[in-house]
Amino acid sequence: MALFPSVDWFDEVRNVFNADERYRGAGGGYCNCVAGFRIAEKVFVLTFDGFECSAAAEGDDGTLDDVDFYLEMPAKAWRDMVANIAANGAADLHHTLNTLDLDREDGLATSKHGDQVREDLFFRYNQTLQFFFDASALVETEFPKE
Amino acid sequence: MARKPAAKPSPPKQPAPKPAPPKSAVADEKRTFEPKYNWMNKTRQWGVRVKPGKAGLKLGDLNVGIYGETPTQWADQSRNPRGAVPRRGMPPVGYSIRDKAGLWADCAADLYEEAIQRRWAPATDVPWDTIEPLPDDVEHAVCQVCTELLGYANVDIETITGWQHQMSYGYHEVKQFLATASFDAARHYECFRKRALANGGGLGLEGPGMVNRMILESRGGWTEAVVYLLLMRGAFTMTLYKYLGRHAHNDAERFIYEHALADKARHVTYALDHLKYAMAHADDVLQVVRTLIAIGEGGLTRDLRDPVLAEALAVIFAGGVAKAAGRGMAVYGDMMRDYVATYLGYCRWLGVPRDPARLPPPLNEYADSTDTGA
Repeated sequence: MALFPSVDWFDEVRNVFNADERYRGAGGGYCNCVAGFRIAEKVFVLTFDGFECSAAAEGDDGTLDDVDFYLEMPAKAWRDMVANIAANGAADLHHTLNTLDLDREDGLATSKHGDQVREDLFFRYNQTLQFFFDASALVETEFPKE
Repeated sequence: MARKPAAKPSPPKQPAPKPAPPKSAVADEKRTFEPKYNWMNKTRQWGVRVKPGKAGLKLGDLNVGIYGETPTQWADQSRNPRGAVPRRGMPPVGYSIRDKAGLWADCAADLYEEAIQRRWAPATDVPWDTIEPLPDDVEHAVCQVCTELLGYANVDIETITGWQHQMSYGYHEVKQFLATASFDAARHYECFRKRALANGGGLGLEGPGMVNRMILESRGGWTEAVVYLLLMRGAFTMTLYKYLGRHAHNDAERFIYEHALADKARHVTYALDHLKYAMAHADDVLQVVRTLIAIGEGGLTRDLRDPVLAEALAVIFAGGVAKAAGRGMAVYGDMMRDYVATYLGYCRWLGVPRDPARLPPPLNEYADSTDTGA
């Protein structure tokens, strides 16, 4: 049982994601980017390198200066997304990263550097990121008590 | 009743005739074969050993030694592959794009690799069986939007392939990436046609096509085509895909729009990288791009004044005609604001900021009034 959000949780998802070759087909696969995630007060960074997610680390606000883009939502929205994936095996139409991006006033994906080419990596690799979070359906997840 | 003729007696067994040697073999025996193998010394660099990395052996990995040299002008007018020894006396092919500034983008090799490795097959990857009957008005709207997107994809294919054969082989990364871009467009054409014909509907009304004509009839060079096709139309199409993915009716539509979005984002990345390179390395391109952008905006707004696409999108966003004028058009407005903000952001990134107040209507209506364009 891994606590969401934590490096342990991301590592468990990485293990599922990296081991499943289905995620390399159907528009997934080759992906090179460093993506940040602001979840409540915490910051996590995932490194995608070739076919795998090679590292998950915890960072701080300053870490987000260096990532290609980062995703930011309130803790409840992250929790709803992860719970939805766990319940359905993959995000339903209302919980995909694309939907969550458009449903939020300021979007889901952003950056501190404002470089649109790097920000657009979110769209170029959206399917890989979606596959990554969908892989969390196979990770037993525990949420912190509110 | 006629009797069947008796079967012919089989001929007596004879030894099989010795097969005659093929004529070419006879000729070979007669020919005095004195190979010189002097072509084996014809190389500009030998002993190259590129190694695969984590993502395999990538196109960009091959750019070592002389094989990675991409001069600012490619003088060779033949099909000689970069790094090969030219054969004397080859008639020129007549490539019109031989300046690196006319097509280059540093990211082209990586984008090619990305396109190849992240490919998807509509016939088998799209979950077509998730499509279920929709209300008639919604199905009409989906089919109308697909019809317009078919037109976009067609123009992508025609424009890219129309320029591709004019590009020198010295910049093969760009030619190869553009081959994937035209294939992406073919895939989009396939998908939208399949979606339109998969659920009891059919194709609708052809789009107004002002932008299509502007793109197809541009003769100023590939860079001009990039401004119209991949920057202006590309950013618009990306935004359409995002919103259509958000309002997908089933997993099949969601899959199509989200994957088409990833493809289109690659094309836009090439466009931005190329335009930045061209403006930095060729005189006057900055001014030319400024002018092209102003002309392009005029063409785009003429298409946008045609109500068909907006109405069809509003029906999709609202879930039917009943709320299309209210909720549907409100979401359409959000989409257009998103597009204009993205487009202005790209212009800023390129160093050709646009004053939102000077955008032609209706584009200016969707610009953020606090955006100074700087």
